[in-house]
Amino acid sequence: MTQEVTKKETSTLPRFAPNTDIIERENGFYIYMDLPGVSKDNLKIDLKENELQISGKAFYPKRENVNNIHLEFGDGEYVRNFTISDIVDRQNIKATLKKGVLELFLPKAEKARPRKIEIQAE
Amino acid sequence: MVIDFSAFYDLPRQIDRFFDEFWKPNVISQRRASYPPVNITEDQTNIYVDAEIPGMDIDDLEIILTEGSLVIKGNRKADNGNYYRQERPVGVFQRIINLNVPIDADKVKAKMKNGLLEIVLPKTDEAKPKKISIEAE
Repeated sequence: MTQEVTKKETSTLPRFAPNTDIIERENGFYIYMDLPGVSKDNLKIDLKENELQISGKAFYPKRENVNNIHLEFGDGEYVRNFTISDIVDRQNIKATLKKGVLELFLPKAEKARPRKIEIQAE
Repeated sequence: MVIDFSAFYDLPRQIDRFFDEFWKPNVISQRRASYPPVNITEDQTNIYVDAEIPGMDIDDLEIILTEGSLVIKGNRKADNGNYYRQERPVGVFQRIINLNVPIDADKVKAKMKNGLLEIVLPKTDEAKPKKISIEAE
């Protein structure tokens, strides 16, 4: 019964794949995701084995008694899945939501980091 | 490596999305046609302009009100690093919104929250609808 209800709720929201940047830097991977209108409470990040799922609901402030002149966006649901490999240190994944952008930091495990090898001259 | 496989083996969701297309609210006329996407609504006293501009501070934006139009300008900068995927728009953008009503420029308010820009443009007194009483003889 509850399942049915939740399904009904989600299906009314149009679903979008949020625009995403994936950047590799020396210490790890950074994922930036545009999630305008999503507050911290409406954002869900799930990590199951190798699957990372990010979902969020965007609700825009409603105004009473207004005429819509022109609309280009509305309430919606953002969903996106990623597969992460073994070189990511799962324990230390960090997520921050700021100004409508989610930043995920996936640090590389110690063994996968680039290391400088010192050469000893004799 | 971080791999985004969502487009490949997420078939159930793809089917969902296919059906969702039919149910999309048809009030949303042209999503993503131009950047940033804006919603314009009005009531008797104000015009409201909302825009989705994630990742930007209000100070980085230039909001200019001229006679008859509102201009939103800005520059989204790219990050440094080795890009695996880049979908978020980068660069200079500008959006011009024509206003066909006189606006009280001193009382315009703008704020930003969760990547949403909200501009409230109060109409001048001349533009507000007035009730005209008819005197019967």
